Formats: sequence, C-alpha cells, structure tokens
Amino acid sequence: MNAKPICTALGVVAGLAAVSAMADEPRTLTVYTYDSFVAEWGPGPGIKEAFEARCGDCRLEFVALSGGVDLLQRLRLEGEGSAADLVLGLDMNLMAEARDLDLLAPHQANLSRLSLPVEWDDPVFLPYDWGRFAFVYDREALPNPPKSFAELLAAPDDLKVIIQDPRTSVTGLGLLLWMKRVYGDEAPAAWEKLNDHVLTVTGGWSQAYFSLFMNGEAPMVLSYSTSPAYHMAVENTDRYQAAEFAEGHYLQVETAAMLKTSEHPALARDFLDFVLTADFQRHIPLGNVMYPAIELGEERPAVFDRLIEPESFTFTPDEVQAHRREWIREWLNASTR
Amino acid sequence: MASEALTAGKASPHGQRRLTQLPLWAGLTALAALVGLGLGSLGALLVQAPGVSPSSLWREPYLAGVLRFSLWQASLSTLVSLALAVPVAVALARRPRFVGRRLLLRAMELSLVVPSLIALFGLVAVHGRQGWAAPLWEALTGAPAGYLYGLSGIVLAHVFYNLPLAARLLLQELERAPAAHWRLAAQLGLQRQAIWRTLEWPALKRLLPRLAALIFTLCFTSFAIVMTLGGGPGSTTLEVALYQALKFDNDLALAALLALVQLTICLGLWALALSQGGAPSLVAGDDAMPLQGRWQRRDALGVSRFTDGCWLVALSLLLLPPLAAVVLAGLGGVTDLAAQSSLWPALGRSLVMAAGAGSLALMLGLALLAGRGWLAARGQRLTAGLMEGSGQLILVLPALVLGTGLFLLLRPRLGGGWQGYGLVVLVNGFMALPFVMQVLRGALLGLPVAQRRLADQLDIQGLARFRWLLWPRLRRPAALALAYAMTLSLGDFSVIALFGSPSAPTLPMLLYQQLGSYRWQTAAATALVLLATVAALFMCFAWLTRRLPRYPFACPPRPDFPQPPANDRPEP
Repeated sequence: MNAKPICTALGVVAGLAAVSAMADEPRTLTVYTYDSFVAEWGPGPGIKEAFEARCGDCRLEFVALSGGVDLLQRLRLEGEGSAADLVLGLDMNLMAEARDLDLLAPHQANLSRLSLPVEWDDPVFLPYDWGRFAFVYDREALPNPPKSFAELLAAPDDLKVIIQDPRTSVTGLGLLLWMKRVYGDEAPAAWEKLNDHVLTVTGGWSQAYFSLFMNGEAPMVLSYSTSPAYHMAVENTDRYQAAEFAEGHYLQVETAAMLKTSEHPALARDFLDFVLTADFQRHIPLGNVMYPAIELGEERPAVFDRLIEPESFTFTPDEVQAHRREWIREWLNASTR
Repeated sequence: MASEALTAGKASPHGQRRLTQLPLWAGLTALAALVGLGLGSLGALLVQAPGVSPSSLWREPYLAGVLRFSLWQASLSTLVSLALAVPVAVALARRPRFVGRRLLLRAMELSLVVPSLIALFGLVAVHGRQGWAAPLWEALTGAPAGYLYGLSGIVLAHVFYNLPLAARLLLQELERAPAAHWRLAAQLGLQRQAIWRTLEWPALKRLLPRLAALIFTLCFTSFAIVMTLGGGPGSTTLEVALYQALKFDNDLALAALLALVQLTICLGLWALALSQGGAPSLVAGDDAMPLQGRWQRRDALGVSRFTDGCWLVALSLLLLPPLAAVVLAGLGGVTDLAAQSSLWPALGRSLVMAAGAGSLALMLGLALLAGRGWLAARGQRLTAGLMEGSGQLILVLPALVLGTGLFLLLRPRLGGGWQGYGLVVLVNGFMALPFVMQVLRGALLGLPVAQRRLADQLDIQGLARFRWLLWPRLRRPAALALAYAMTLSLGDFSVIALFGSPSAPTLPMLLYQQLGSYRWQTAAATALVLLATVAALFMCFAWLTRRLPRYPFACPPRPDFPQPPANDRPEP
C-alpha cells in the first residue's frame, strides 16, 4: 500500500552510502564471515593485521553474520550485487547449494600444502580449517563414557545427552549426517533409541553448550572433538573431553571462496593464497578452536596432540544436497512419535 | 479525548484549523511508515515467492502439527501468566508498603528485557536437573527434577517473562482508581468479595483483553525458549518452521505463507482485544496513588495477610532466583572484563542505538495515539482502531521475514556500516511500539473532562495546551516508555543478526561472540553489564522525571494537611 515512499527513501539512503563507499581510498577486500571469527579474541583481528602487512596498501574488512547458513542466504539474496569479495565460513554441507548460485569463482590456489583427513581437489572452495563432530563429556559426571554409538544407544536411559536441531544448527545437521553415515537405512531405528537419551534438542550450539552443558544439566553434549582443546589450553582443565566412537566421526571442513563479481579479483586470489600460509593458520587452533588446514609443525599448540584422533568420513556435498530434506523428514518422523 | 486535549476543535479561532488537524496527520504519517515497512517487506517476499499454496497448511501433517503446537503453548502460557498475575497484582495493590516492594517492582520491569539466552541460563541454573530447586523437588515428589524440559518448561519460562509484565500493568490499573472510590468502599464497609466485584474486577477487566493479546503474541513468536526447553522436534513452533523454510530450504513461498498465518492469528486477536475498549496503561504512577499508606484497607487484615504474603513470596521465588543466578555467574567473570577492550565501546554503541530506537518508538507511539484520539473523537471508531492496531504490526511480523523482505526491497545491495545500524534502529523502534503505546495510552487518552473544559474555556491552545495540560501528565509515562523501548533495543539480538555487522559489535552481539568462542565467564559478565545498564536506565528516567516540589524552599506540608485527590475522575 504505502511501500513505495519507504522503498524510495531507503533506496536513496543506500545509494548515498554506495557513493560514499566508492570515494573510498585504496583497495578494500570485503569478507563475509561468521561472528565468532571476527571477535576480538577470534582469528579475525590477527589475520587482518597479517594480511594488511603483506599486501601493503590494501584493507581487509570483515562483515559478520550469525553462521554459515546466514552467509549462504545473504549471498542468495544479494546475488550479483553482493558487496562481498570473499566469503569465509561455508562448510561442506552448504557447498553444493552455494555452488549452484553460480556466484563463486575458482580459487586457483596451490592445494599441495593442504593437510586434511580426506582428499580435496575442489576448484572453488578452499578449506581453511576442519574438525570432527563429537560428543563432549564431563569427566566428573561421567567417568566412563560410551566408546561407540552402539554403546551410547544401549546405555541405561539415565545417561542423557544434549543435541542440536538439524533444521537450525550446523552441529545438529552434522549429527544427522553422522548417524545416517553410520546406520544407513537403520538410521530411524537408531534415532528412536538415541531419543531415549536426549534431554533436549536446542536450536543452536550456544544454548546447548552454555545454558545447559556448562550448568551440568547433562554429562554429554554434541559439539566438536576440538572443544576440549580450548578448556585444556585456556582454562587449564582436563575436565571436558571428547568421547571417541569406534564407528568413526563425521568431518566438518570450513571453506573460503571468492566471488566472481569481486572488484579486486587479483587481491582476492592473493588472500586465498594467504589462507594456506602459517601467517593465517596460526590463528586457527585456539582462535577458532579447530584444526588448521596445513601442517603447522611447532606452532600447533601442544594440547592438540591430546585430542582424540578417530577415523573420519563425510558424504559428498552433492549427496547432502540431494538428500538433506528427506533425511530431516526421516528424523522428524522418528523423533515426534 | 486526546485530540481534543491537544486541540479544541470548534472553539478555536480562525487560522487554527491547520493546527487542529496536526494529530491526524502525525498519526497518518506514522501509520504509513508502519504499514509500508511491514506490508512492504512481506510483499517483497511474496513477489519473490513462486506460488503460495495455503492448502499445504492443513494437507501437510507436519505444518498442521506445528501450528497446533504453537497455538497450544501460546494459549496455555498466556492463560497461566494472566491467571497468576491477577492475584499477584491484587496483593501488591493491597500492600502498598512492605520492605522490598520497590525492589520487587524493579525486578518485574527487568525480567521483560532479559535476553532469552541469559534468561535460559538463569532458569536452568534454578530449575534444571542440577538446579537449586532440584533437591527440593526430589524431596517433595521423589522423582528427579525433569520439569524444565517439555511443555511444562516452556510454560514456566514464558510465565517467568510475562507474569511480571502482566502483574505490573494490572497493578498500575488498580492504582489508578480514584481515592474517592476507596473512601466510599471504606465508608460502606465493603468486604473482600464486594471490593473485588465493584472496584478491582471492573478495573482489571478493561485491561485483560489487550494484555492477553500482547502476551499471546510474545509467546506465539518465541523461538529460543521453545527450542531449548521443548525437548525435541515435537515442540516445534511456527517460528522454527519459518526459520527452516527461509534459511535452510530457501522456500520463500512457504516462509511467506507461515508469516501470513502468524500475522492473521495475532492481528485477529489484537482486533478482538482492541474492540473491547478500555484504557490500560503502565504509568509509573504517582498520579493516582490514593491510598499510599494513608489508611489501611479494611480487607488488608485477617486472612488476606496470609494469602497476600503467599502470592508475593511466590512471585519473588519465580522472579528473583534466576536473576540472582545470572548476577552470580556474572560476578564470577567480572575480573575478565578489565581485559575486554571491546566492552565499553560496544556498550556505548548499544546505548546510542537504543536512544535512537527509543525516541523513534516514542514519537511514533505519540503520533499514532494522537491520531487515534482525533479520529475517535469524530466518531471514526473503525479507523481509530485500525490506527492503534497498526502499532502492533511489526511485533507480530516475524523478524526474519521483516529482515529478508527489507533486504529484497533494498537490493541490489545493502551497504555495510552505518546503514546496517540505521536499519536496526529503525526496526527496533518499530518493534517497541506495542510496549510504548501500552504505557502512553492511559496518560494521553484519559484526560479528565473538567480539565479539558477549563482549558477550552480559557482558550488555551497549541503549544500552551501541550505544555500545561498534556506534558505534566505525559512526562512520567513518556520517560517510562522511553526506558522500555530503549531496553528492548539494548537487549535485542534478533534484528541485528539479520543485517550482519562490521567488526564493531553491540553489547548483545559481543555476548554472542563470547558464547560462540567458549568464553562463558566473560559472557556472563557482559550479561551482568547489560542488566545493570537496563536497571540504571529505568532508575535514571524515574529520577529525571520525578515530581519536584513546586516551592523547594517552602515548609513541608503538615502531615494532617488535607491533600486534594490527585486526579479528577477520568472520562468514562
């Protein structure tokens, strides 16, 4: 009804800002990423400083969104008009959909330095860190954690775990894929057994870890196998550890990619080259609490040697894209009964 | 009504005509902005959507289940909140003086604006399986405390949020009753039952429909609480389905459909509530406090001493322990704060944005109410209701839909930086409108007839009329409205998360950053800073607008000096 004047007004505002942005000095790379990446203590500030020192007259600017899913949606909404030169934080499960947007350009980086538990030859998405989904447990509340999914499912009902919802959270989707990979067509039955142990299903990782797990509500929470590294290195406590499951763990790889529409494609490629150097990667282990994507040697914090090193596996991004809805439906049916 | 309060209609001399229509134009402008923003963004989504099929709502069992559960939990939460708020408000009104009453009232104001993640932390610390209340529960029932997960937990959390809000508003309504009523009740020797029938219930009845609509809307659109405490996908609300459709599945058609459903249900309820009339308000009432310790109500003796005590203790037990848990956790992390260089700039940024959003909400609220009064005074009841109802539009529209729609409207791109902040201020201001209007309504619309006629006779018009007739009554409600709007904006994360931000965070963003990278202690301390800021805001505004003595150096009035009743009877 009255949308037009507002549109125009807001449009004028946006236009003015665009003009003022164009008048800006040297080359600025805009990087879309998620908010904990740019936090004061996260990897962002160190990376920004290192990259700006390396390129001389350029600036790196982060725009923080809530998470990987928000990054994808922002790209989708902005399309070719996106302000981003690079996007940092799309994980493997979002790759296929991001690729289909046809907005991303090949990275052309040298992949020989990569050190991942899986082969990687994707021309568009460049891994910058990785981790494994795992159940983190409280050693004081649970001295003998289950050693496999089978043990967890068969445990007495009073062993409770906190998980996240695959419809709203990256870790929740990780668990869904993990179960599917381990149990295949038996997954619904496995979910029914797991649900006896589920205290609650939170919307996001923060609620599960902070509001519930840290309050001692359950002895186990779905998180990453690297979470204990933070507790050991920064809080100096061995109390929280990841349970190693014999069936293997599902892998998460976080990637960087550049946009076709970048105003500074050469500089964006420079940045992607920079991603696989020690100057970028040394900020990952404790800044992002994930494994670095290259061999850091001496620079990798010692606590990372004390983490579990299980088998790991993934589905391909295309498999995830093809089946995600169907598998979520399967989970819903198994969990609402 | 309000417009007549502002302008005297026919009595005005020539040349004043333009001014008399000022309320109408102000109201219409605000209405256009609201409807434009709300329907504009929803429309943008609908245009993008390939084809909306309403029938999927009942053909798809998943969606039908989601809708059923959303309605069920919201109705239950509303019912429980209101049913408990009535006796609490009555007890608070009957006991105008006890130790800690002011503290309790402040805590009631605070609970509304605690960010959900923080409230969850507090609730879990108290009611969780390992919470403070768990041993008690186990001793009483013999079973371990598991009531926090499932429908009971959802209702508990919603009651924690909404009972204090409801009781606070109801209390104000009770305290607005003129002193003459109470004197008469005392003279006639009315007992408990009769007082309830003649004085209390008629006052509460006016307010309950709106309050129910407000609380229902808040519960219906609740996201984090329902997901965390729901226990599993059986407790899925419309907001979750909407999030899934919009973010994970990129199903704009379904998202638009779900938003329309939410809009229809909540606006329908508001229409019903607004048609019930009445003039509730949340006035920081020194206006009409007739019984402030001057004599004891007859029904304040006897068994009601015990029951009132029970209600007040129950309220304190619901409200204070979770807040205390948050404060305790925050104190543990205070030492980390010194090392946080980003905390104080974030607080400053948040305060500036909150001030912007608060002023915007205040201006819009005043404009809408003035327009509503103008229309109602001229018999245009329907348009008047529409104008008032439009204030609720942005609250009932899912933030996600609003954000996405705005995004589509502003394409090709939304620049970063201050534009993002500007949008957040805009949306926050609009979202605070229902609260602001609830607070301002009574002051603006309930001008005593006698005062108005006197002003008309003396031909006090325009600015002078505002300065001497309206402003004195508006001062305190306006400050309270500003405080509410500012704190809502201070604690808001949902909107700011939509637009993304450069690396300079606001306070709630900082909090989520800290949580996202394992810094619980620091996050709890940040939450404490947030709570303290909110409390300070309320106190600051109450202090700024306190009633100063007119003659500061005169002798204090003798205690037996008969004081005139604070107010004439408001216009029925």
